[in-house]
Amino acid sequence: MSAADLARLQFATTTSFHFLFVLLTLGLVTLLVIMQTRFTITGAPVHERMTRFWGRIYVINYALGIVTGVVMEFQFGLNWSGLATYAGDVFGAPLALETLIAFFLESTFLGLWIFGWGRLNRWVHLTLLWLTALTAFASAFWIMAANGFLQNPVGYRVDGNVLRLDDFGALLTNPTFTSAFVHVVFAAITAGGVFLTGVSAYHFIKRTPEADFFRRSLRMGVVTTALATPVLLGAGFAQFPVIAAHQPGKTEATPWVGAPLGFMILIGMGLTMISWLTLPLLFRDAVIRMRFPLYLMVVGIPFPFAAAIFGWMFREIGRQPWLVYGLLRTEDAVSHVDASQILLSLIVFTFLFVVLACVDWALIARAVRRGPDVAPAPVSPMVVTL
Amino acid sequence: METLWLTVLGVLTVGYFALAGFDYGSGLLLPFRRREVALRRMNPFFLGNEVWLVAAVGVLFAAFPRLEGELLSGAHSTFTLLLAGLVLFMAAVQLRLWWWLVFTGALMVSVGWGLFLVHLLDAPWPVAFVMPVLFAVHGWVFQMRRWTLFPVTAALCALPIPLAFSSIDVTGLMAHNDTLSLLAWVAIPVIPLVVVSQWSIVALSSR
Repeated sequence: MSAADLARLQFATTTSFHFLFVLLTLGLVTLLVIMQTRFTITGAPVHERMTRFWGRIYVINYALGIVTGVVMEFQFGLNWSGLATYAGDVFGAPLALETLIAFFLESTFLGLWIFGWGRLNRWVHLTLLWLTALTAFASAFWIMAANGFLQNPVGYRVDGNVLRLDDFGALLTNPTFTSAFVHVVFAAITAGGVFLTGVSAYHFIKRTPEADFFRRSLRMGVVTTALATPVLLGAGFAQFPVIAAHQPGKTEATPWVGAPLGFMILIGMGLTMISWLTLPLLFRDAVIRMRFPLYLMVVGIPFPFAAAIFGWMFREIGRQPWLVYGLLRTEDAVSHVDASQILLSLIVFTFLFVVLACVDWALIARAVRRGPDVAPAPVSPMVVTL
Repeated sequence: METLWLTVLGVLTVGYFALAGFDYGSGLLLPFRRREVALRRMNPFFLGNEVWLVAAVGVLFAAFPRLEGELLSGAHSTFTLLLAGLVLFMAAVQLRLWWWLVFTGALMVSVGWGLFLVHLLDAPWPVAFVMPVLFAVHGWVFQMRRWTLFPVTAALCALPIPLAFSSIDVTGLMAHNDTLSLLAWVAIPVIPLVVVSQWSIVALSSR
């Protein structure tokens, strides 16, 4: 394999692992905002316990997900120095805005939320979670704006052999950005809804004596999935005319690029149908008393994640052989680094990310099994306060 | 514009390295300290430094696009070591299964920064041990609560890499003024906001 192939494989691996974490983070923070807002308004203890239990899982996932993001960011410079050299003036703007106004602030607000638990006025504490969620969505906004530029470069002028930023507004109205941003946001909310449903179903299967707590969580999960999936599908299909106009060769980039697209659509439609069929069964908890749907709910947890990876595969493989569509070829953007060095980093990071994903899984599973009422047994140093 | 962005980059890098001593330093001292206490004391600072690193690399990419790629890809294997150490350190601190993994992660990150210093200065390789030693000393000062020494060791951790970096001539490597002035509106107010917030985290957690 050439340096370019290895660098591409590494980028695909890092992005995929990173996105698994991101999806759950964005999905859960949205639901947490609802839970904590209800607690702050009503003062009902069940909402506080829900915020605490789901918040603990959210924090575990966030803290481990950060490192995949750090590697992700370094990778542009390590393996793709040609991208910064050629398009850094334009592509770098949304990327830097992401790190500064989104990630930098998001992590800090989240830190304040974690350590402010029980120590701050509850409205102030709620505001911190809202700010965390808003900056998390801002993060997705800027990253998708940067990615949209790679798919359909706009707002630039050519100056010698580099691109210059000409019209920043054009980056934000880029059609390959807008519909994809909505699509990604609702994919995350769907993942959060399915996760909430599945974990709650697991506790009903185990007959945990927390019926009210998990009944509410399960309902919230099902309703969220049912509300999010139609928007998800709509924003997905809205991208086809955009692709036809701006990337006509997308479906023929490689012979098999249609396969992940097909799987993604199948999963999306399946989740929409199942969640809407489940809605009437929420009446008098029929779905819980029937029991067998509970097993399907647990089995369903990985599906939104798989669909998201398929979606990314289609979007990114379909862009080839271009890194910046029509302007910069992928093979021309690779750093002047020995293939063996890239191979080494590919092996090291793939191994570490597999370990990281397993650790995330193990810590979340442990937090789930312990259920909502735990004596302050620390799951991780971050969560010790929650 | 040039001075402004070098200052922003300098502040972010100094922020990262000044905070890095707390957790990597504490990690390096784990074999010699009571581990539970050391890890607990590190809590409010955990992840606090990495956000500065991410912000610094973001600014490096956008404001110095012609420099970023050369700088990072020129030290490819060093950054592989460093980032692998970072992943290991952060996962191990969370998992709390084997303390020596925390130690190994901290050692890899700090040796990685040492090697980057060697790369920047074109210095002989033993210079790489400067960073782990400085981090460990700062970690010790932090763990033993020697607050009078604290600003000195914090500065010693924070300065070597930004100073070595300042030897690079950045003319012609910066982004165009249009990009820079757009970013300036954002970058400058965000930094004090993060400083105040992180300060509050520490204040809250010691209450």
